[in-house]
Amino acid sequence: MLSAQERAQVAQVWDLIAGHEAAFGAELLLRLFTVYPSTKTYFPHLGSCADKAQLLSHGRRMLEAVGVAVQHLDNLRAALRPLADLHAQVLRVDPSNFPLLIQCFQVVLASHLQDEFTVEMQAAWDKFLTGVAVVLTEKYR
Amino acid sequence: MVHFSAEEKAAITSLWGKVNVEDAGGEALGRLLIVYPWTQRFFDSFGDLSTPDAVMSNAKVKAHGKKVLNSFSDGLKNLDNLKGTFAKLSELHCDKLHVDPENFKLLGNVLVCVLARHFGREFTPLAQAAYQKVVAGVANALAHKYH
Repeated sequence: MLSAQERAQVAQVWDLIAGHEAAFGAELLLRLFTVYPSTKTYFPHLGSCADKAQLLSHGRRMLEAVGVAVQHLDNLRAALRPLADLHAQVLRVDPSNFPLLIQCFQVVLASHLQDEFTVEMQAAWDKFLTGVAVVLTEKYR
Repeated sequence: MVHFSAEEKAAITSLWGKVNVEDAGGEALGRLLIVYPWTQRFFDSFGDLSTPDAVMSNAKVKAHGKKVLNSFSDGLKNLDNLKGTFAKLSELHCDKLHVDPENFKLLGNVLVCVLARHFGREFTPLAQAAYQKVVAGVANALAHKYH
């Protein structure tokens, strides 16, 4: 699905995130909850107003999963199977929410990387995250 | 009808004052055409859109992006009446241009990314929230006269 060039773009962006999963993840969640408040309904355990420690902890978990996806671009289904099962059987996040998360992810990348956030990176990353969302929701029914 | 608080309006206008509308327009339209290549369907007459470099340097893309964003800029001066402001453009996009309103949402999201890229940390979650609300409002206003 991803060309060699797109994979290189994905890896290049990931190199900038790796080691900072918690910070990126926390900002991602904060943007998601601020911009799209209805998404908070999926995180009742984070409380009505998640504190910084909770956002960092859960944010890191989410970004580490993205990291797993980056390492297994050739076999997303196998690598993400436990997460796909979790989303289908337990979390059941309505698929319409994934584009909201992806938009916030792009904004986090854009605001951190600025001039370095090329259009090729944006395109590859959007395609990659959309592919991850497809895998996470394809066992829903 | 979407309502903007005083704080949201302040955040929106203060940031917009620092935007180079011409550059941002070309950037947003160019990125739309590359990240979501099916949107190129509306621009057969624009010439070479075959590579990211071709798109981003295409003079017609830049000119049209500028036109679109100038129009968006007008909307920002009329946040309390987006539907009225964009009524004529809505009819045009439906009757003459035949543009699926989904495309307005895509362009709006790309514009938010362009702003984030430009402003960096200054584009806080609250600033993003205000601008996502604006682009959603404009997209709805542009779709409002569809029939």
